[in-house]
Amino acid sequence: MLPTPGPGAAIARARPRASVARDRWVALASVAPALLIAGLVVVGGIGMSAAQSVGLVPLVGEAAFTLDAYVANGDELLTGLALSLGIATASTALSCVIGLAAAIIITQGRVTGRVVAALSALTIPIPHLVGAASVGLLIADSGLIPRVLGIAPTAWPDLVGGPWWVAVVLEYTWKESAFVALVVAGVLATRVARYDETAALLGASRARRLRHVVIPLATPAVIVSAIIIFVYTLGSYEVAWLLGRPYPEPLPVLAFRLFTSITLTSRPEAAAVAVATTLVSLLAVAIGMALLRRTPLWK
Amino acid sequence: MAMMIPYGQRVTPDPRTTRSRGLMRPRPVGRIVRIAVAALLALWFALPVVPLLIWSVANRWSFPATLPTEWGLDGLSQALAQGAVPAFGRSILLGLAVAAIATPLGALAARALTFGRVPAPRLVSAILLAPLALPAFVAVMGLTIVLLRARVPATLAVLLLLVAAALPYTVYTMRVAYAAHDIAFEEEARTLGASRAHVLARVHLPLVAPGLARAAFLAFLVGWSDYVVTVLVGGGSLVTLPLLVGSFAAGVGNDAVVAVLSVSAIVPPLLLLLALGRFGRRYAGGRLTGPTPSRSPKGSP
Amino acid sequence: MSASLALDALTKTFDGADHAAVDAVSFSVAPGECLAILGPSGSGKSTVLRSIAGLDVPSSGRILVDGADVAGLAPERRGMAMVFQRPLLFPHLSVLDNVAFAATVAGQPRREARADATQFLELVQLAGFGSRPVTALSGGQEQRVALARALAARPRVLLLDEPFSALDPELRSDMHALLAAIRAQVAPTVVMVTHDRDEAAIVADRVALLKRGRLLQHDAVERLYTRPVSLDVSRLMGGRIELAGVVRDGAHVSAIGRVAAPEGETWAEGSGVLVVRQEAIQVAAAGASAPEGFVAVDVVVADRRARGPRAELALAISGAGSVVEAATDQATDALADASPAAELVAEVPASRPLAIGERATALIPRSACTVVAG
Repeated sequence: MLPTPGPGAAIARARPRASVARDRWVALASVAPALLIAGLVVVGGIGMSAAQSVGLVPLVGEAAFTLDAYVANGDELLTGLALSLGIATASTALSCVIGLAAAIIITQGRVTGRVVAALSALTIPIPHLVGAASVGLLIADSGLIPRVLGIAPTAWPDLVGGPWWVAVVLEYTWKESAFVALVVAGVLATRVARYDETAALLGASRARRLRHVVIPLATPAVIVSAIIIFVYTLGSYEVAWLLGRPYPEPLPVLAFRLFTSITLTSRPEAAAVAVATTLVSLLAVAIGMALLRRTPLWK
Repeated sequence: MAMMIPYGQRVTPDPRTTRSRGLMRPRPVGRIVRIAVAALLALWFALPVVPLLIWSVANRWSFPATLPTEWGLDGLSQALAQGAVPAFGRSILLGLAVAAIATPLGALAARALTFGRVPAPRLVSAILLAPLALPAFVAVMGLTIVLLRARVPATLAVLLLLVAAALPYTVYTMRVAYAAHDIAFEEEARTLGASRAHVLARVHLPLVAPGLARAAFLAFLVGWSDYVVTVLVGGGSLVTLPLLVGSFAAGVGNDAVVAVLSVSAIVPPLLLLLALGRFGRRYAGGRLTGPTPSRSPKGSP
Repeated sequence: MSASLALDALTKTFDGADHAAVDAVSFSVAPGECLAILGPSGSGKSTVLRSIAGLDVPSSGRILVDGADVAGLAPERRGMAMVFQRPLLFPHLSVLDNVAFAATVAGQPRREARADATQFLELVQLAGFGSRPVTALSGGQEQRVALARALAARPRVLLLDEPFSALDPELRSDMHALLAAIRAQVAPTVVMVTHDRDEAAIVADRVALLKRGRLLQHDAVERLYTRPVSLDVSRLMGGRIELAGVVRDGAHVSAIGRVAAPEGETWAEGSGVLVVRQEAIQVAAAGASAPEGFVAVDVVVADRRARGPRAELALAISGAGSVVEAATDQATDALADASPAAELVAEVPASRPLAIGERATALIPRSACTVVAG
């Protein structure tokens, strides 16, 4: 250890001009590895998908610009798009409502709050594929619920593989409502307690505090969660594949089938579905960000 | 998409204070509603796991019986015979590898974005968060052809794509950690004569350790839970636990095996989560907090 | 709208704590009065305030507003409004909507609530700030808005929890002036927690002094300075002079000699410590005689410390010998027990050339003296 620290060490904050450039390089070098990987995957993934979809990167043969891949499965693309949007919208809306209710219960504390907090925290690390398997075991026509209720498979509605994609939406909602619950509870726990007290002292009842303080303060976190859930459910494959029906196919399932198909033309067609999904995702993010910007809390 | 979750942080109020706090005092009607809603939510979160747990110890469970008609571990032995153990090992390794790469890279980037002079910081942040807005299969379908032509081994390609998918989580988690981190502690250590290496080991890393643990946990989850990247890029050469679950769940009559495999896919992240919770709580007790305007403890001791 | 407030043996023990954070505190506040709860950190003053507000539930004791016990009332139904050290303006509302909050949640139409809020913004001299987001305010402005928001709730009792202690000194005195103006206009009953005795002296009519959860003295501000009831009070109020001695025949005998109690007051017989504010002591040239109502003590300047425009002198008592002669034997014994190096402290303008070692006479006004238990 130094006997007396020199004065040089103490002026770390007062930086001479020469080291500003050095700081820049250090900062750039620090972000570079992460930036390269994320950039390669995002820009490369979208760029190459787009290039393949218009025939510029064929597996064999000459590269030639063509929109055939988009036209070839036009109908399936449109039904898939509608289906994916429906599933994502339903899952997102339900997750936000249930998650917000859970977050409010959690921040109320006591035993009930801690039980809900613990159960939702335990739900989150479960892989979606496992979630899909368990939802299947729960609500299929031979699942636990019809057994407990004593309902014959013929009388039980087609929740798994049925026309309304109920099992798929339920699986997403189950996992993602836990996500919303903990994200919103985290926000509420850090900022709401004191505001809640202040509001109470200004005469606001519980219901009024919920409406005028708690929910407005939670809104940005709910919107951010909703964006993430929507984009995830729109692009997720395994749950819809396992719990859905063979036709019509949501976009990721359609893309997956085309991509793994053996015909040569199907690769560009899969890429076309991927590009369409990406565009919808980006649009959803843009709309979500616009909503977020309109909340008074956005700085 | 679990990145913003306050793992290891207390989200419910301290039980010691709730009882004596005016706003937390039970009021009869509110209490009944609250307990009813909480019970429904608890059921909602817990119920889907129940059939998994039962099926994992059932040899036979023919229809309308509410409990298995024959208990047993056939599912387990079948899972073992189908290579559950090596798949489990591969999944652990994949999760650890993703965490080991994505955590330090995310921390470096987050620190530079928080304290450094990164050019175009908004663009950089946007790119680092972008994998979150991009469906995984898009990245896979775009890049497979490139990676194949560059002769990148399949396992490495899977790792690269999963690290990219994990980066938004680690970057975001570490940005939160660094936002709460007061760099004055490090400057203080420097003025006390500590070298850069000392500051890193003795001051910087200990102070952000809870954040690092959270980031690593989330990155592990990305590798551990992945299905689509491993299937499409790995092309069957890398059989992880989710792949086994997927292939059995797609068939019929495999309920017991699927349940055993599923339970084994839930246990490691749950153990990590519990460890993280303990770590976070133990740490929170002695943690140094940044400068706060409040001098005196208010209200409660 | 202003109510009276009374605390009756308020006690609060937190779970797991071995002693009470607030221990049987009783006091009352008249309508329109401003009471400061003063005390060092950890004295329980904030807990008292939070209990009044209903944010903490007391372990025992009663809180009466206009004579009625508020025990069962939820915080939002007590008619209190509180301003915290942090302004806690709702970030999702504009300045005006923050001030209009109480009216809004009470179900008033928005237009009326806002019109009402505008008046209160004017009251805190922030007319025209209504449409701004709360993030666009400075620290002092934020606290003014918080004050306006609390006042707009028409509280029966306005509670202030160290509301100005995060502000810099100039802003703080602006806020003191503002609070005085508000009191002149709307006369709310105010209970304010502070750790700053100067602030308490400026703002409050009366002060409740707390230490370790116990109420030491509840009195008018100047009496806390001049008539502390205990050595603790004297020390917490910054008193520096403590002269151990004995009260006999209505007069205190100590190193400075015999000091008779001021007119109309009696001191308890037996040993006691005479305390007197250092600000009351005048320093005259050596040998000066005591005017009517003063006690003269021969002193030597033992130390001199600069205090900006003033200088603080430590004065060693040199004329003690002559005094002891006059004292009884018992008093002499008491003096021998007391600290031998009894000292006076006085403040003089920095321009006075009193150097260390110089002789002088300290003049102590009898009316400023009081005797407390040792």
